[in-house]
Amino acid sequence: MKKQKIVLFISILSIITSLLIPNVYYTISYAQATRVSDEQLIARAINGEARGEPYEGQVAVGAVILNRVASPDFPNTVAGVIYQPGAFTAVSDGQINVPIDPDSTVVKAARDAINGWDPTGGSLYYWNPQTATSKWIWSRQIIKVIGKHNFGK
Amino acid sequence: MGKFREKLLDWKKRLSDRHMYSVFIVIVAVVAAWGIYQYKRAADLRQELDNQYNRAFYEMVGYVQNIEVLLMKSMISSTPQMAAETLQEAWHQANLAQTNLGQLPVTQEVLANTSKFLSQVGDYAYALDRQNINGKEITGEQYKQLEQLHQYSVSLQEALNNLQASISEGRINWNELANKGTELFKKQSQSMTGQLFSDIDNTFQEFPTLIYDGPFSDHMTSLKPKGLTGKEVSVEEAKKRVAKFFGEDKVASVEHTGDIQADTLPAYNFKITFKDRPEEEFATADVTKTGGHVIWMLYNRDVGQETLGVDKVKEIGREFLASRGYKNMKDTYYIKEDSTATVNYAYEQDGVVVYSDLIKVKIALDNGEVVGFESKGYIMNHTERDIPEPKFTEAQIKENFMGKRDLSTIGLAIIPTNFGTEIFCYELKGKLNDRDFLVYINAETGAEEQVLIIIDTPNGILTL
Repeated sequence: MKKQKIVLFISILSIITSLLIPNVYYTISYAQATRVSDEQLIARAINGEARGEPYEGQVAVGAVILNRVASPDFPNTVAGVIYQPGAFTAVSDGQINVPIDPDSTVVKAARDAINGWDPTGGSLYYWNPQTATSKWIWSRQIIKVIGKHNFGK
Repeated sequence: MGKFREKLLDWKKRLSDRHMYSVFIVIVAVVAAWGIYQYKRAADLRQELDNQYNRAFYEMVGYVQNIEVLLMKSMISSTPQMAAETLQEAWHQANLAQTNLGQLPVTQEVLANTSKFLSQVGDYAYALDRQNINGKEITGEQYKQLEQLHQYSVSLQEALNNLQASISEGRINWNELANKGTELFKKQSQSMTGQLFSDIDNTFQEFPTLIYDGPFSDHMTSLKPKGLTGKEVSVEEAKKRVAKFFGEDKVASVEHTGDIQADTLPAYNFKITFKDRPEEEFATADVTKTGGHVIWMLYNRDVGQETLGVDKVKEIGREFLASRGYKNMKDTYYIKEDSTATVNYAYEQDGVVVYSDLIKVKIALDNGEVVGFESKGYIMNHTERDIPEPKFTEAQIKENFMGKRDLSTIGLAIIPTNFGTEIFCYELKGKLNDRDFLVYINAETGAEEQVLIIIDTPNGILTL
């Protein structure tokens, strides 16, 4: 009797885990399938990339995305820029999918960036000098430092 | 050793005692099945991703081939109509190629020149297309540029064909590029596949500067600010200007936090705290080193209950601008978000609204405080303009262009193009099917330059 119960328990447990764990992979397809407005997309990108940064730094991340859209060297849409492979760590690790509160500051920062505020002086890149691993990024001209990030062209 | 063996035996005995063998086997089987399932799933996903990358690559190769052929055709065609048709298609194909390029798992900087080439080819074709539609033929200079672009598209096609061969031979692994490989093989794999892509980009190393009437033209990155007046100011002088800008009675401190080393508008960055606000509620602002003009300011504070109407807010913004030395500013559009209103103001000269000289003022709707300011448009464009007499009268414009439509107002305006020039226009506001629209008609040539649809929402007036 006892043995049967244990077997049952274990099989139920394994079924549950196998159902739960593959969900991790789904985040990739979610991001592509959902159509969100530029504002939402930029706000979530800011949330993933610069959550703990000062307000100016959050607007700056949004401004860099928009500067890229306007630059011939990058894709010419907001979604194209944000989802360009390897362009943003928040996209690569799925941080961009973290839901955001519509009243949070990242949404305000995204709106200010869309309305034309650009604290970066036209920057196309930013990097954290403490954690940046690419040597190439250091060959960029630094335009401004905001919070933890260097912004440059 | 012996003790361990003893323990193992003891455990085995207990297992068999309690008839746990089968349970143990079930656990192992479940874990193994789960592992196989996960492995297969991951392999499937990797394959799917690989297929996506291949699709993007092969599509891009196809579009580049089309661009080459279309550029050739546009050079052959002898009528502006035919040239316009092929150029328009070239613009379309270049856009598609550029979009697919942005989906390849290659670091952006490796293919930056290729991306720029595709953006410019499309943009250039579009500019020539517009010129053709307006009945102007391609000039000798433009023909030469077109020839040059065609040459580059041939080189790009050759380089892509080489790469295609490498893919067919299985020498390129997209996943390795995307994941940058494991730490151990990182350097090797990057240098191999990365090299193939760098070779492509090197095609454009000596790509000439391309100046034409389009937003991706090279002159757009080196525009000189026309409205930057005054002499070089020191940090101290700039600080004083900032305090005055916010109101000396309100400001507690102005701290110089850094510099902006941009080529077009070098500036100082300041952090401003206020007497009646806690220290963590501060504002930031950039002030140009030349002339000490505030480029932008942002003050992110929580805004309370909305008490002000739009008309009052527009008035507050206008007074704010006038007191800071920006005279003759007319409000145009506004948008309401998060209990703030962002109002656009354009400079008005002799009754002509100059949309290029743009200043945005963000006002808190709880107490009317100005919490944001942005004047890049004004700084880049503002001058006193030589406005000519329009070649058409208001009556003529109404008669010729707006005959059938409901027209409410007509006025004169200067509008910016997306390639840094300005057009002197009649601005006509009207209604079609209950929707407001704006039409801009060139006051000198009578050509229709732009049509905008106005969306009047409770949150503001937007144009499409």
